[in-house]
Amino acid sequence: MFQEEKRDFKKLEAKIAKIKDKKEKVEKLIELGKFYFLNEKYDEAITKFKEAAKIDENNAEIYYNLGIVYESKNLPEEAGHMYTKTLELNPNHRLASKHLEKIVGK
Amino acid sequence: MRQCVVVGLGTFGASVARTLIEKGCEVLAIDEDEEKVKEISEIVTQAVQADATDEKTLRSLGVDKMDAAVVSTGENMEGSILITLLMKELGVKTIVAKAVSASHGSVLRKVGATRVVFPERDMGVRLAESLATPSILEHIELSPEYSIMEVHAPESFIGRTLREIDVRAKLGLNIIAIKRKLPYLTDTGESDFKEDILITPGADEQVADGDILVVIGPNKRIDNLRNL
Repeated sequence: MFQEEKRDFKKLEAKIAKIKDKKEKVEKLIELGKFYFLNEKYDEAITKFKEAAKIDENNAEIYYNLGIVYESKNLPEEAGHMYTKTLELNPNHRLASKHLEKIVGK
Repeated sequence: MRQCVVVGLGTFGASVARTLIEKGCEVLAIDEDEEKVKEISEIVTQAVQADATDEKTLRSLGVDKMDAAVVSTGENMEGSILITLLMKELGVKTIVAKAVSASHGSVLRKVGATRVVFPERDMGVRLAESLATPSILEHIELSPEYSIMEVHAPESFIGRTLREIDVRAKLGLNIIAIKRKLPYLTDTGESDFKEDILITPGADEQVADGDILVVIGPNKRIDNLRNL
């Protein structure tokens, strides 16, 4: 099972490496990051979201996802920075403000 | 249903009143400030603008029939001492009073408070502890030597089972629970997590990245765990 999972991740990584279109690449990197996150592979998820942020630095969704992964790893300060960045880019991001309130205090 | 009276509706008192209601208690809230009473009136069972240092007023409000009283008029020392004394004379069994200093607390105890709390002092201690040792999230002292603590799972534990780690034999500690975040996607496809707690986890339970371990044991040994 674990071997199959590993193959799936590698397949996806290889597919994404070939994508030329920036928008599509970011979407796929976010997708893969979420896939890693759901499998509790937090360090790998962070790497993918950071790769996505390098291509599209104004994408609130990427910073929100980074926040969620940092919070899952018990790194509240890093998570707080990411939620703040998310809200700067999208002040209406409901989940980012919910998580930020939880970390910082209402 | 437990009936409680909360006197003084500042940040502390209002928070106590709100939580008691959430826990299913009936709450009578009293303050001299009309605005504060108005603010909490929709939440609590009954909110009254009154002078709680007046015995007749307290009797007319049925305070003598309450199970517990919270006196949170801490800044008004004289008032809080008098109200605590009146609660005692009215026969309220549990009287919790908020103190602003050690001497204030000592007087409150003498006039009948069954428990004195120092929210500012206690919060200061907790804050300092969390800044000094960020890996400790919660600390419940059972005795000067023994505690229950919530600590971040050390890096060296991740991916290993509790049997492999064997903290009981190696460190003389017991892991009584694991707090874990469970990742999921919302209906709209956004990442989020639920917080779960595994009580008395089995020996085959694997420690995951981000786990918080609830550990019981001697303070000195918990310190060793923190340093792993």
